[in-house]
Amino acid sequence: MFLHPNDSLSRRNVLAGSLALGGVLALPRLALGDETKTGAPAKTLVLLHLNGGNDGLNTVIPYTDPRYRVLRPSLALDRGRIRKVSDTLGFHPGLQGFEALFRRDRMAVINGVGYPKPNYSHFRSTEIWFTGQPEKTPTYGWFGRTLSAKPSEAPLRGVALQKEQPLSFVSETPGTVTMTDFGRFRIPAGMEAAAKLYGAYGSLGGMRKQVGDAGAQAIQVARRIAKLKNAGGPFYGRIGEDLRKVLALLRADLGVECIQFQMGGYDTHSNQAASHNRLLAQLGNNLNAFQAELDKSGLADRVVTLVVSEFGRRAAENLSGGTDHGSAGPVFLIGKGVAPGFHGAYPSLEDLDRGNFKFTTDFRRVYASVLRAAFRTDPTPILGDFKPLELFA
Amino acid sequence: MPAHSAAVGHLLRRAGFGPSASTWVQWAALSYDDAVDRVLAELDAPPPQDPPELDPFKPGTIQDLWLNRMLKAPAGLAEKLTLFWHGHFATSETKFKDAQLMWSQYGLLRAKGSGSFRDLLLGVSKDVAMIRWLDGNSNRVGHANENYARELQELFTLGIGNYTEQDIREIGRAFTGWGSRHHDFVFRDHFHDNGEKTIHGKKGNFGGEDVVDILVHLPACSRHIAGKLLRFFSHPDPSTEEIETLATVFRESKLNIKATLAALFRGEAFRSAAHQRSLVKSPVEFCIGGLRAVGATTVPGWLHGATDRMGQILFRPPSVKGWTSGKGWLSSGAIVERLRAAQRVALLTPETTRANTAGAILSVTLQDEVPAAMQSALDVVAAKIQKAEALAGKSREPMLAAAHAEHIALVLASPEYQLS
Repeated sequence: MFLHPNDSLSRRNVLAGSLALGGVLALPRLALGDETKTGAPAKTLVLLHLNGGNDGLNTVIPYTDPRYRVLRPSLALDRGRIRKVSDTLGFHPGLQGFEALFRRDRMAVINGVGYPKPNYSHFRSTEIWFTGQPEKTPTYGWFGRTLSAKPSEAPLRGVALQKEQPLSFVSETPGTVTMTDFGRFRIPAGMEAAAKLYGAYGSLGGMRKQVGDAGAQAIQVARRIAKLKNAGGPFYGRIGEDLRKVLALLRADLGVECIQFQMGGYDTHSNQAASHNRLLAQLGNNLNAFQAELDKSGLADRVVTLVVSEFGRRAAENLSGGTDHGSAGPVFLIGKGVAPGFHGAYPSLEDLDRGNFKFTTDFRRVYASVLRAAFRTDPTPILGDFKPLELFA
Repeated sequence: MPAHSAAVGHLLRRAGFGPSASTWVQWAALSYDDAVDRVLAELDAPPPQDPPELDPFKPGTIQDLWLNRMLKAPAGLAEKLTLFWHGHFATSETKFKDAQLMWSQYGLLRAKGSGSFRDLLLGVSKDVAMIRWLDGNSNRVGHANENYARELQELFTLGIGNYTEQDIREIGRAFTGWGSRHHDFVFRDHFHDNGEKTIHGKKGNFGGEDVVDILVHLPACSRHIAGKLLRFFSHPDPSTEEIETLATVFRESKLNIKATLAALFRGEAFRSAAHQRSLVKSPVEFCIGGLRAVGATTVPGWLHGATDRMGQILFRPPSVKGWTSGKGWLSSGAIVERLRAAQRVALLTPETTRANTAGAILSVTLQDEVPAAMQSALDVVAAKIQKAEALAGKSREPMLAAAHAEHIALVLASPEYQLS
């Protein structure tokens, strides 16, 4: 039922004889024996959500397709400025950072990622991406279910750099925290009795126990995090501040399996050209700098970064110089050891579903690949029967 | 303590912001039904007047003003219900940066929040903050902006799964021309689509007011609102049957919110033991409840910043979906902030009254349910208090005051107090 990558594969990838072709997908390359039982993950996943729905068509641009300029009379980028990285595809001019990562074989681009019966609501589509269960009322997140599938005593398995717990982390298994500032984790002097109190609620039932457990866990992780300091480096903007924290957490070697954060502003309904350029420049430059820091410090072997958005935008631009909510879009996997180049077919610009792209790769195949290679976990019980893409070299 | 006063305590936490130190004894003496009547009567009192020198553009002003109203209200149902509607019609000033518009929206929710849901929804549809938030001004004939049409159905009236993409498009067309100029609603006739629309099976040249009338009378709307009221005021997981029962009350009262709340609070299920302490207090409930319990007379300036770090700042909900609930409030970072706030609130208690407050606070906030886990922590603090009392000389008073503050903070940090 899945379309296999073909026409849009970069020459580089084809020449490299990528394993992402044909029936090879049916056989997981990585043995799921003892490795799945070792506590420590092979790689920490840094998961970045581009909040608002990134315009995929102007991010990875099929610059040779004449339909591109028909769909985007005012928003199409000048062909000369597009950062061409294959015979058919190029990055937005603002994505200098992505071009650098791509040319250094540090990036896999998965085209046309989506799911059946796309939902155009930010909230619902984010829920779908964060649960990996489009047909279900949301209960647990896909990373939350991963935690439950691999029990561990580690107190700090997932970190979200935001105030609210993201749905992706939700499960009955403790081990995730949200944070915006390391220093705020200091336990105030004089609150030791309260800090001790939480542990005593384990034997009670219902919500009291849940609050007690959450409190006990908070105290345990707070003591470890309060000591950290934001990392240095050529980062800027809000995403840069978050990457300083990500780097500090990675360097502290706390055994974190997933660090999730978000970059907002992608809901570009009007006057998109300038704002999208600014967003993508900031995104690419910061992630390129981040990967450079990882490469320098030797952390590169233990970290992989996944960049997703809840949907792409409508194929045709609207009359306000923007784009409305759409469906499939590109996903980016960045790191040392990824299978570099393009994966998955670029969606047709001709054969649209009520003005929206038809997805070519189910997003759960991306997760499955990450679960298998980064977490060394069998993806099937967590996601269902989705063949992992071969995104790791 | 008699069982009914535990139920009254539960009512005050849910229908307001928890008992205050000075009035708890009077509340506890009432029968449950009398307490419900008194709580509901607050909805009929005229809203507080804005101070004449109000400058909403001064940062924190409107947050402080509202928090103070929550603190000072007898029970606080009118403000609590306004907070519910603020989370329901969640609008954030971050998009258009105009605190005056947010304060006007607060005024609308406060004034119309307990009457007819139809009138409230029409008011919200014409509210300038909402129009700016969901792009009403760019919704014009020929190129509809569907933002309001979508959220109106998904979040404000029907819930997901109860409308089609076509309903969204057609409702978007019906609202074309509903815009704003400065701080006023305007209808721009030349932007309005006068063609025929088909909305939830009805055909006609509908406008925005017709849409409101169509939506509020759909069964999915009464179920959606009843479900949200139950999850906010009663317990996190209402059954289909429970929702249908309250939805029927809602419909039969001609969509009257006060009548629906009265039925909710009077229902046996509301005060059942299983539903008490089943909701996690939001940061605002947590902080205001603590201030009320220690008898604070004004909201300290640091408070809205503290609630922000716990994940909630008034007039800036994280999205149009509103705030989280339940365990969503209990991230490790938020819990450490709650510990810090518990301590700061405890230290606001005047030193001379701390001993009394510490004694009363268990009764005020917990209605005397003290599980063994809590008791052993309290014993540790009690030992510190005894030790301080035994001291002589200059160090006795400060040591005693600190130990009493620790006692108060411990209660406020306890799992029981985190729950409503």
